[in-house]
Amino acid sequence: MPIKLLLQMSLRNILRHRRRNGMMLAAVVVAVAAVVLMNSMIRGMQQDMADAAVENLVGHVKVLAPGYRDDPGIARNFALAGDWRPPDGAPEVAGWAMRVRVPAVIMSERGTRGIQFVGVNPAQEGISFLSSARMVGESLKDASDGRIIIGQALAEQLETGLGRRLVIITQGADGLNREAGFRIAGLYDADGEGMEGFFVFTGVGALQEMVGAEVFTELSIRLHEEPALFALKDALVEVFTGLEVLDWRELEPQAAAMFVFADAAVLIWFFVMMGALVFGLVNTLVTSVMERIRELGMLRAVGMRPRSVVAQVVIESSALMLIGVAVGIALGLAAVFAMGDGLDLSLWSEGVESFGMRTLLRPVPLVDDVLLIALLSLGLGVVASLYPAWRAIKVKPLEALRR
Amino acid sequence: MAEISAEVPASRGSAGLRASVLAMAWRNLWRNPRRTWLMAGGIAFAIWMLAFSFALQKGAFDVMADNGARLWLGHAQVQHPDFEDEPLLEHLIADVPRLRRSVEALDGVVAAAPRAEATALVSAGERSFGALVVGVEAASEARWSGLADAVASGGYLDGSGQAFVGAAMARNLGLSVGDEMVMLGTAKAGGVAAAVAEVVGVFSTGSAGLDRSLALIPIADFRAAWNLAPEEAHRLVVVVDDLGEALDTAQAAAAAAAAPLRVLDWHALMPEVKQFIDLKVAGLYFLFAIIAIIVTFSVVNAFLMTLFERTAEFGMLKAIGMRPGGILGQLQFEALLLWALGAVVGVGVTMGLVLWLGAMGMPMPIDPNEVMPGLNMPDRIHPSMGWGLVLAACLTLLAGTQLALLAPAVRLRRLNCVQALRTPE
Amino acid sequence: MSDVANRRTAHVVDCAGVSRTYQEDAVPVQALRDVDFQFSRGEFASLSGPSGSGKSTLLNLIGGLDRADEGAIAVDGVALNRLSESELSDLRLRRIGFVFQSYNLIPVLSAQENVEFIMQLQGVARGERAEQAVECLASLGIAELARRRPGELSGGQQQRVAIARAIVTDPVLLLADEPSANLDSGTTEELLKLLRRLNHERGISILTATHDPMVMSYAKRRVVLRDGAIVEDSAH
Repeated sequence: MPIKLLLQMSLRNILRHRRRNGMMLAAVVVAVAAVVLMNSMIRGMQQDMADAAVENLVGHVKVLAPGYRDDPGIARNFALAGDWRPPDGAPEVAGWAMRVRVPAVIMSERGTRGIQFVGVNPAQEGISFLSSARMVGESLKDASDGRIIIGQALAEQLETGLGRRLVIITQGADGLNREAGFRIAGLYDADGEGMEGFFVFTGVGALQEMVGAEVFTELSIRLHEEPALFALKDALVEVFTGLEVLDWRELEPQAAAMFVFADAAVLIWFFVMMGALVFGLVNTLVTSVMERIRELGMLRAVGMRPRSVVAQVVIESSALMLIGVAVGIALGLAAVFAMGDGLDLSLWSEGVESFGMRTLLRPVPLVDDVLLIALLSLGLGVVASLYPAWRAIKVKPLEALRR
Repeated sequence: MAEISAEVPASRGSAGLRASVLAMAWRNLWRNPRRTWLMAGGIAFAIWMLAFSFALQKGAFDVMADNGARLWLGHAQVQHPDFEDEPLLEHLIADVPRLRRSVEALDGVVAAAPRAEATALVSAGERSFGALVVGVEAASEARWSGLADAVASGGYLDGSGQAFVGAAMARNLGLSVGDEMVMLGTAKAGGVAAAVAEVVGVFSTGSAGLDRSLALIPIADFRAAWNLAPEEAHRLVVVVDDLGEALDTAQAAAAAAAAPLRVLDWHALMPEVKQFIDLKVAGLYFLFAIIAIIVTFSVVNAFLMTLFERTAEFGMLKAIGMRPGGILGQLQFEALLLWALGAVVGVGVTMGLVLWLGAMGMPMPIDPNEVMPGLNMPDRIHPSMGWGLVLAACLTLLAGTQLALLAPAVRLRRLNCVQALRTPE
Repeated sequence: MSDVANRRTAHVVDCAGVSRTYQEDAVPVQALRDVDFQFSRGEFASLSGPSGSGKSTLLNLIGGLDRADEGAIAVDGVALNRLSESELSDLRLRRIGFVFQSYNLIPVLSAQENVEFIMQLQGVARGERAEQAVECLASLGIAELARRRPGELSGGQQQRVAIARAIVTDPVLLLADEPSANLDSGTTEELLKLLRRLNHERGISILTATHDPMVMSYAKRRVVLRDGAIVEDSAH
């Protein structure tokens, strides 16, 4: 039987029961739109988590001295020329930063805290949260700036403020404790209070002078796009023999695991929605077949092949899904763009931050995902039509005509 | 139904009518068993989805909250009114023993333990770090505290002059069991607080905050070094046997305390856990709402088909004098029974799964503590029924299935019985 | 309703100047034009005529299933055009019995339950209901079929159940629309004998629309319509 005729018949059968098929379409549209919306939100969360992890002084790739991760301290260092550049100019690299990061104790007249003391070159820190955090007072001028920047939360805990002096104690390269006074140049306000209480920044030159060694403890590199990561990592391994070259998934296993979690969540959402849908879809299709039993019997009697009967039912189901998926995706994307500013999750701010997410959730629709949803939905349409199609070919021409 | 009954003299036979309408609805349901099962399946699926997901999450959340509380913070705490916001050494509970006696007298309280704490500079050899030094009553805390179970090396505190420290801190300071560490801080009334302790144990909880910054010493040693009176402490940590009653117990504890003190339950002590749970539940509600809509659409569709197939029958009923309301009443009973069937299957399947998995526990696909240390997720989930939510899910779908009759109701009212009677059956 | 319930007139049906026009695919079709028709208590009449003559329309108007555009119809002294939809329902329920061409029994109910159903609608008590239904089925010779469902009955048996349902409530008027259309001639004859007996013995007024000559021959009065008007009205 020619496909064109089959197509025509199937479409007319859909139009024959507009109200019923309209209801079914509405259900498909709601399901698909909800899946698209949820999918975009989950992707938004994922991107948020990855961004937060990368910005949190991690970068996409980091070079560390062996043993630094277990025993972070100035003893685990490496030397690097101040004007080091990534190999071959590396166009995929968005930026890099060489830092000294050591555990330290900070003291005010009112309190004592354990911190991470980070020496940075402000010109290189466009790649971390430091450049985008809200700042009260001044930022560091350059790599030799001997003042410090501390988090708002730490300032409150230490009951100190702009322009005041704090004492910092850390271990020198020779293994002996060093103690020095630093003036507060600025207070930063990061998204997570954890960071604010934890990181204290100064010029990398000033910190190298304090610990008494012209060395670094980490090189952090950020990319324009994540897929370039593996090539760069390989290139870096060649350059930094004897050092550890790690990507953010290895450095932040929590965030990476959440990433995998979210991938699974996308699929779970899809299958739950479609599971709910399939009951109604099968019912609609079977009813449509049973009503046409006389007609199908007649078609069989005049010589229509079972294959063509199956094709008719499958086409009918697919056409229904196709329209529903198209409208559903359009509606889902419209909802995504309608909440372009993001969904405010501040009601759950601490719970959200414990995932490493921001409180403003911005949905991110991905073309690949939308295509996947469309394809899976159409596949489901075909699967759902199998039972009705089987019912349809079970019809014996004579019996059907006698009804 | 209301319309049929209204036609009927109240004194005569309305109970019999209702019973037989119910029987008729039940028989009508089985005129098309496939459709009935498909629709009941949809309803059951929706109920199962919400009830089972919630049962899983409740199983996880209860343990998560309880483990979290038992790890360190307790189910509730009594503090000086300002201590939570401003953890100063001076913000003390003046008479802890009396408070403790009254709290321990409360129903459901497993333990109440005092703690005193201050930030201090902890050094070992040439290395120093800032840490939170906490004086604890070792004998009491060892019975319930998760820290005591999280020993990585050595053991828990059991005498004076000892310290129990976090693994990250030990690593940073280069400390191991048997080493000596020095604590330096500011004592009450401004003097220098100094103490020396031998590390008897190192703990590793997976929570970076605890492992990095916490050092435990006996509370008597703390009081001596920081110059506190023997009845003074910063917190009284309360552990209860029923998580759900933590808040009530905490409030009773507040009432028991004569002095103006502040009581915090685990919601306030671990807001991240509470909010994490709330966020997950909110997501679940959204998912259920969408599914309820989809299933309702399917049921509307099924009733439209029923109406279409039974047009002649409804036309006849109208012709012999049944009002549209009466016919709708019949459909309402059919919807009710359909819903009941779906609800029984959905709740039954959920209960079966929950009982089965509740007994043996369901392993998590990936180790949750690697993903979210500090949230204290169990590695096996023992789901438990949340009956309130099951009821809510069932009622939502009951409303959905009855609402699904709106479209058929409109058509019934417009049904022209002359034409309807001509429709082939 | 009580003010009209007790009023008795000689005519069970009184139609005066009744017209009815349908829109069929946007084309107005005048099914009845200015019809006057009276039907007395105890009569057995047939309405006949070719398709589209208006016989079914007239029957539907008398049964309160449809409303006239012009003219007045009174059934048992009640003017139909003044009744609301629900009052019409009540009238059909309590004073008119219907027999349809395709029986239209409720498929999920047994024969006896089908007969009882209409009494349930009227609010008859359970015991009385069962008693009357059994008695009625017995009087139509199908007592032994009481527990069967319509699907298990032949056409003639189903039509008997339908008649039982129509007369069990003692209506003043029994309307039958093509009652024999789906029956063979033997069964039709039995059915007609049954109707005649009911007409004779119980005095039930029977009005039937039909194009079956056998039905016409059993009716005592024969009304023929053509193009929406009565062209013949004879007794025999």
